[in-house]
Amino acid sequence: MAAKKSGSRLETEIERCRNECLWERIPELIKQLSLLLGEAKLEHYLKENPIKPDSSPQGPRMKLIEVKKHLTAALDRGNLKLEFIQEANLILAKFHYVEGDYSEALSLYSKVVLDNMQLMAVPVYRLRIMAEAYATKGLCLEKLLEGSSRSTEQQLEQEQEIIACYEKAGDIALLYLQETERVLNTNIQNRSPKPGSSFQEQELGFFLETGLQRAHVIYFKNGNLTRGVGRFREILRAVETRTTQNLRMTIARQLAEILLRGMCEQSYWNPLEDPPQHSPLDDPSQQCCNLKPRAITRKPRVYVGDSIFCPQENTEEALLLLLISESMANRDAVLSRIPEHNSDRLVSLQSASIVYDLLTIALGRRGQYEMLSECLERAMKFTFEEFHLWYQFALSLMAAGKSTRAVRVLRECIRLKPDDPTIPLLASKLCIGPLHWLEEGERFAEMVTDMSEKASEFRAKGYLAVGLAYSLQATDATLRGVQESLQKKALGAFQRAHSLSPTDHLAAFYLSLQLAISRQIPEALGYVRQALQLQGDDVNSLHLLALLLSAQKHYHDAVNIIDMALSEYPENFILLFTKVKLESMCRGPDEALLTCKHMLQIWKSCYNLTNPSDSGRGSSLLDRVIADRRNLNTITLPDFSDPETGNPAPASLASGPSLSTYTLLQSLSPVDVDKDVDLSLTFLSASGSIHATSIAASRVEQALSEVASSLQSSMPRQGPMHPWMTLAQIWLHAAEVYIGIGKPAEATACIQEAANLFPTSHNVLFMRGQVAELRGNIEEAKRWYEEALSISPTHVRTMQRLGLVLHQLGRYSLAEKVLRDAVQVNSTAHEVWNNLGEVLQAQGNHHAATECFLTALELEASSPVVPFTIIPRTL
Amino acid sequence: MLVVEEWLSEFKTLPESSVSSYAASLNDNHSLVSALYQVICEPHSELLEPVCHQLFEFYRNGDVLLRRFTLQFLPELVWCYLSVTATRDVHSSGCIEALLLGIYNLEIVDKDGHNKVLSFTIPSLSKPSIYHEPSSIGSMALTESALSQHGLSKVVHSGPHDQRETFTAQNRFEVLTFLFLCYNSNLNCMPRLSLQSLCHMSSRVCVSGYPRQFQKNYKDFSSRIPVSPECMVQILTAVYYAMYNGEWDLACKTLDDVLYRAQLEMFPEPLLVGNAIKNSVCFDAVKYSKEAPRCIQVEITPTSSRISRNAVTSLSIRGHRWKRNEATELKPQEELMDISEVDEGFCSRASNTNIAISSGGNKTPAGKSQRKSLGGRSGREKEMTTEICREHLVRKQTPRATSENLELLSIKRLTLTSSQSLPKPGNQSLANTVTTVFSKSFEQVGGVLAANSPASAISGNIGDSNRFSACSLQDDKLALVSDRADSHISTVQQHKQQRSPSCNIHLSTDM
Repeated sequence: MAAKKSGSRLETEIERCRNECLWERIPELIKQLSLLLGEAKLEHYLKENPIKPDSSPQGPRMKLIEVKKHLTAALDRGNLKLEFIQEANLILAKFHYVEGDYSEALSLYSKVVLDNMQLMAVPVYRLRIMAEAYATKGLCLEKLLEGSSRSTEQQLEQEQEIIACYEKAGDIALLYLQETERVLNTNIQNRSPKPGSSFQEQELGFFLETGLQRAHVIYFKNGNLTRGVGRFREILRAVETRTTQNLRMTIARQLAEILLRGMCEQSYWNPLEDPPQHSPLDDPSQQCCNLKPRAITRKPRVYVGDSIFCPQENTEEALLLLLISESMANRDAVLSRIPEHNSDRLVSLQSASIVYDLLTIALGRRGQYEMLSECLERAMKFTFEEFHLWYQFALSLMAAGKSTRAVRVLRECIRLKPDDPTIPLLASKLCIGPLHWLEEGERFAEMVTDMSEKASEFRAKGYLAVGLAYSLQATDATLRGVQESLQKKALGAFQRAHSLSPTDHLAAFYLSLQLAISRQIPEALGYVRQALQLQGDDVNSLHLLALLLSAQKHYHDAVNIIDMALSEYPENFILLFTKVKLESMCRGPDEALLTCKHMLQIWKSCYNLTNPSDSGRGSSLLDRVIADRRNLNTITLPDFSDPETGNPAPASLASGPSLSTYTLLQSLSPVDVDKDVDLSLTFLSASGSIHATSIAASRVEQALSEVASSLQSSMPRQGPMHPWMTLAQIWLHAAEVYIGIGKPAEATACIQEAANLFPTSHNVLFMRGQVAELRGNIEEAKRWYEEALSISPTHVRTMQRLGLVLHQLGRYSLAEKVLRDAVQVNSTAHEVWNNLGEVLQAQGNHHAATECFLTALELEASSPVVPFTIIPRTL
Repeated sequence: MLVVEEWLSEFKTLPESSVSSYAASLNDNHSLVSALYQVICEPHSELLEPVCHQLFEFYRNGDVLLRRFTLQFLPELVWCYLSVTATRDVHSSGCIEALLLGIYNLEIVDKDGHNKVLSFTIPSLSKPSIYHEPSSIGSMALTESALSQHGLSKVVHSGPHDQRETFTAQNRFEVLTFLFLCYNSNLNCMPRLSLQSLCHMSSRVCVSGYPRQFQKNYKDFSSRIPVSPECMVQILTAVYYAMYNGEWDLACKTLDDVLYRAQLEMFPEPLLVGNAIKNSVCFDAVKYSKEAPRCIQVEITPTSSRISRNAVTSLSIRGHRWKRNEATELKPQEELMDISEVDEGFCSRASNTNIAISSGGNKTPAGKSQRKSLGGRSGREKEMTTEICREHLVRKQTPRATSENLELLSIKRLTLTSSQSLPKPGNQSLANTVTTVFSKSFEQVGGVLAANSPASAISGNIGDSNRFSACSLQDDKLALVSDRADSHISTVQQHKQQRSPSCNIHLSTDM
């Protein structure tokens, strides 16, 4: 279009000259034409015989001779405009380069004085000619430097000049591309578009490409990272054009690679700062001379603005660059799967997969797995059957805590790579752990055990997973026969695992735990000692050891073990809960209450550090992930998280710790017992300042009743509500201690605290019932127990108490029914057997009663202070 | 060992002024460094305690070079500490423990002794940066999370960290992870010997006690060492750096060991990062394995796309959709092509509703101006007229500005009308307001048009088409209204049919 226009102008110019008989103008015009002809022929020639880097051009010389003829004709006699003379010379120099006559080209460049040429208000094409001229000059200088044997000092100087040429070439090339796009856009806007006149992708050609990229290639070759990174940033900061999109994508990825592979926080400087004078990044053997700032009158446009984001750290910058290249890689990924496009698809997939890998490295460093899973999800549309990205997607979902989807994606990964034992192991870890899909977990684990030729350590893990699935199923089972057969299977699997991998402490530990659950205490003690020899400070092994000792009624030893474990794990709440139980058993209620108080302090220091508004995983740096992990993983509260009861959970954390502290004070202040005041006061001092005093308690209750109404919605198990469950549990333990020493008022206050958090928890209702019993309100107690059972129909302790209350009310047959149900659910609860015996005795069934009493006696001899099943069972 | 003893005494007598020159000279003292490594490796060495003490003094001194000097021994110190805790030989590692905790406690506070909080901004493409403009990134998926974070950059914090007096099993890896974080932020200053030591440490921590150990030569030690996933990720960061900075072969082996352990522990985090490193590395293997240190390389890459033009990509699909939509657009959209997809979605939806309305409107009596031009034509015919009208517009060029003007105007009216009608949930009044407001807005539009339009002959048509787009814009807000008055929809319908024909348009879009 533009060419045609200028052509017509030229035609009219000729016509005018001929009309007005301005014959002296005609040769000038003709020269201009021969200049054009020469340029066109040269470019045409280069298009047909593209120059490869590091090889001299070959091709029919005939055409080149023609080019020279035209150009010299243009330059021949003097009467050409200055800028056309310059242009002709530059094209001639380029021609000399193509011919391999480098010094001739250089002499032409010095004749023209490139640096003095105007950049402002020139036609767009001249920008291109100049960019190419600088690039060609750099190429010529490099070629000459190769052959020469000069002193190092001169060589250095020469290199500086070469780089300066390339950088200028690059800058002008960027400017040229921006200008062409601008012109093109205005053309489109001013004209009605013709169908099919869409933008033809421009090809840069050898000279412009070299000009844009050669400078940083030289920098990196010389080990000068600082300057290389600086050059990369300059190119990237220039406003993008359609032609530079691919270049930007590559450069963004390369810069990200350098930031991740070769830089660290200490050596980083942000893109708007000046680079450091001396940097450990640069090869010390290479002298670093200061370059003169490039004297260019017109720079390419860069991204500017008031509030534009500028990274402050190397991972931040890498991430920004990778997100930009990801969006491009994603856009250019080939979606069609027809065979003709197969190679295209693979190329695009490979470049995208490099970007996603770097993204994973960058985000992994900062623990941002949630974001990573979102990024990888975007890749899924073009990664059909591509194992690597699918697997990475599954792992990112797992790391982000999205277990359900992770299992689904892992299943696809298993299909793609059926012989890798890690994948089904990961899936069964999720099924057994957060998802509690035991049958699924079992199936995944069996896939691993069926891989007979695999290394023994993986198969051992497989058996461990199988055993855990059985063991957990046994705990859930309601029929005694099923329970026993599952326990037997679990035991067998753990034994297999232990024999396959005798150095794995987990195998020994779970074997011991399984034995303990089926009350084989001495055997269990043997294996737990073995586990502790393999891993001396494993928290679960120590806990199990303490429980086993308590089952043998060595309570003091058990407390000592717990204390020892607590010195290694001071913030482990399950250990602390067991400690409360043990202490009220052998050290008296005062000690137990002190432990409760201590737990409240720990809870405060654990969870108050973190801002409740951003609590939850993946929202902060890795240490938060650690903190959450530490606390959440170790707290499994079987009483609270019975799989079948459905977790009650506060849906919002809006109330925050300050409010709960406030209600805590409210509820404790009427209590006149010294210990309680003490407790609340320490809590007050621990919280520091209570700024929420104006907020009425009723508002808290309102918020929480809203919570209660939304309880039915399914919540992720490992969510931010876990801390609140722990808090409620602490209060309930304190209540239990109070009930144990016969103080109903204090117990009620504690229960109220828990009830504020979880009003519909069966544990809360159960404790209320116990308080009612303590006060002698048998009828009320019965009501509470019935409510608790309506929420959790298999809560054995409630059933036991209900049986007892019914017995007291004289309703023997109903009591018997309830207690028999309880025995069905858990056949090792000796209190239930005892109560059942009493009921049967009262009914006159002495024979059966004796049986029950004997069973109770036998079970009591091996009963731990808290059930063995509170120890978490996860892979 | 003599070197070490000299070193121990030298620093004590050093005057304050010459600390920095002394620090600079230390790093070149290779015999000293290797002697120190020997001391640290030997748990029962008499020199261990004074050495640890001196290293801590260096760290406390605050001089950057002295700090780095101490930090280079971190991997070796960590290995000694972990191997000793695993064998429960507690007494011999006391001074190493103290040194590690000392470094940790110094690192978690800033110069003034306040707890450090590290922050990290997660860049968002929806916010302009020095490298991009949001509008040029075309294909941003409109997911819920993308929308909720639109224009915001998320900042995550790390810290404040607690001071630690002792190592416990619980805080051990928390502290070590933080120490490796510090080490990683100084990676560029770490000598090769330190990187090698890091690789050896990582390999041993990851495989000792596992069957793989027997393939290696770590015979001296055989119990398993627990490790946390976060710590493994930090180790992988350092290993990744070592790969590209002179220790290619060693680091690759270490990577395999870390991956092996991560698989057996079923830790997704190190598996993710390790797999990513391994996958990205396999393209570079040939290039780097034989190279000298500091071998980050870049080559000239062709700027033109390597993908053939006719393969289906996300971009080409997008363009495809556009071409179809253009057929029903009212005006040339060429220049909108490179505006972001948000706009695209909006426009295309608007144009889709256009069609729906025009075809749905055929059964019902049309507005007065409409009736003149369209009479009782079928929907197809009407589409054709819009088509003709569009061609008119394209040819004439000028009315485009007017139509834009009109659209703006109708949008303005829109916000007005919806705010009027929303707060009145009563059925009768609602119906009234909706209808009256509607007809009013059309009158307004028509008025403006009559005044502005240069070609009055097609004014009816333009008004027509404009109204449609106006309606489709109103669609959203009115849907809200109709939701509220859901139960009264039938009465509304009746009213509308009686009162104003233009209401049919609204109803038909609702269907």
